[in-house]
Amino acid sequence: MFGLIGHSSNFEEARQKARNLGYDDYAEGDLDMWCSAPPQLLERLSLTSPSGTTIEGAYIDSCFVPEMLSRFKTATRKVLNAMELAQKQGLAITALGGFTSIIFENFDLAKVQQIRSTTLDWERFTTGNTHTAWVICRQLEVNAPLLGIDLARAKVAVVGATGDIGSAVCRWLQNKTGVGELLLVARHQQRLLDLQTALGSGRILALEEALPEADVVVWVASLPQSLEIDWRTLKTPCLMIDGGYPKNLDSKVNAQGIHVLKGGIVEFFTDIDWQMLEVADMENPKRQMFACFAEAILLEFEGWHTNFSWGRNRITTQTMEQIGAASGRHGFKPLGLDPAGILSLAGVVL
Amino acid sequence: MPVAESTSALREALPDFTTPAYKDAYSRINAIVIEGEQEAHDNYISLGTLIPDQAEELARLARMELKHMKGFQACARNLDVVADMPFAKDFFSPLHGNFQVALAEGKVVTCLLIQALLIEAFAIAAYHIYIPVADPFARKITEGVVQDEYTHLNYGQEWLKANLETSRNELEIANRQNLPLVRQMLDQVAGDAAVLKMEKEGLIEDFLIAYQEALAEIGFTSREIARMAAAALVG
Repeated sequence: MFGLIGHSSNFEEARQKARNLGYDDYAEGDLDMWCSAPPQLLERLSLTSPSGTTIEGAYIDSCFVPEMLSRFKTATRKVLNAMELAQKQGLAITALGGFTSIIFENFDLAKVQQIRSTTLDWERFTTGNTHTAWVICRQLEVNAPLLGIDLARAKVAVVGATGDIGSAVCRWLQNKTGVGELLLVARHQQRLLDLQTALGSGRILALEEALPEADVVVWVASLPQSLEIDWRTLKTPCLMIDGGYPKNLDSKVNAQGIHVLKGGIVEFFTDIDWQMLEVADMENPKRQMFACFAEAILLEFEGWHTNFSWGRNRITTQTMEQIGAASGRHGFKPLGLDPAGILSLAGVVL
Repeated sequence: MPVAESTSALREALPDFTTPAYKDAYSRINAIVIEGEQEAHDNYISLGTLIPDQAEELARLARMELKHMKGFQACARNLDVVADMPFAKDFFSPLHGNFQVALAEGKVVTCLLIQALLIEAFAIAAYHIYIPVADPFARKITEGVVQDEYTHLNYGQEWLKANLETSRNELEIANRQNLPLVRQMLDQVAGDAAVLKMEKEGLIEDFLIAYQEALAEIGFTSREIARMAAAALVG
């Protein structure tokens, strides 16, 4: 049985979700109440792959909301308690969605294995980052040419290049896709230098230097609220893949010729009977989900009950290929650009 | 992302066990624990009168509680603290009163909910939160106690599970009447607990985790449980 640990995008959404699901006391509670609320197993679901294999799973809401990020102890407690619940429910492989894996990684929660009387078994959890990285790369490979971008000559900026997903994307684009040039953007200078050395290529740039040069921008860093992008300096066409969390790039860029694609999202081949993602910000919530969630589903379909994505910068092009092949086998497809958007571009060009 | 605190903050620095402020707060917290264990002993013996065929097992559980009580009395002596027992008796009196009323009316379900679910879940949460910030002597004692408390919670859980259909209504009523009292108790003790570096937020969440697990094991659905548990969150 697989598990998905998720949370709402913000506190208001969480209250709305609680109201929709009939948790009225939660819907009326304030943030302090939510800080003390234990994780909830909200839904059990089943999926059948194109080959006819059916698997069972469960969705756990950690009761975390991003407004709790400044409350360090609360945030860590939410993540660890949700993981404990997943393990106690006997879920064989559980994906850490949204901020869950970010909090786990940033606060090095691997050091906190004992939760009350439960010793967390890391083999039961995956960040889902390998599948997310593969999906982002495929989104780039499929959609950039549709906009007339020649990848062999294109400059691709990876914002958040030294992170777990960012570095994996860089390795894939370097070794598999073969893009014109990689522009590496991140906060940590030494990690950038190490990545550049490991790749044997790539140009390190500040964000404001990289953006005007890039034909494609892959965002795999959380965007600060204060970030402002001067779209007039961007190339057209420009493909922006919003692979960070939360996905708020489309609120910052709105100009003709600039195409924002929600990164790291996959679509299942048929409708899934679940309520949880209906309240998430998905265009087609019956089929679309975060690729990290889908990774747990894929691992369950394949019977690979192991922490496939774990730790920092361990993703290889081989593991990306492996999970990518499973993704196709079990009916998932990376989300593509809205065809209407591409047609309007064609109109501009003509 | 605005998360910049050091991971070392995960490992809470131990409080200074020798300060007057610590000892003052400890005199009440320790008294609550001692009184709680004493009342648990008495409650299990009383429950034996309502479930005579299990009186022997209940007496065994009761003996464990007395052993715990003696351990916590030793903790106070070790820190040279006198437990404030009048405070603790007052602290438990609303829940104690409800238990006594239910006992007089022969309401075994209500008695089990109060003692075996609420008080045991409260104890489990408090002990788990206390252990990482306890003095070395108390830490050892508490680690031994907490496992026993799961046995006690399990006893109530199994009895109620086996009798769910006849117990459901009474359980829901007893929950409504008594869970707000637990929340009030948590609020009342929050200041002293903070001096011992035990956070109220974590206490409530851990209590609810233990309580919800028990309700799930008994056979309530997720929505029923969330509704029942909300009384502890709303405060």
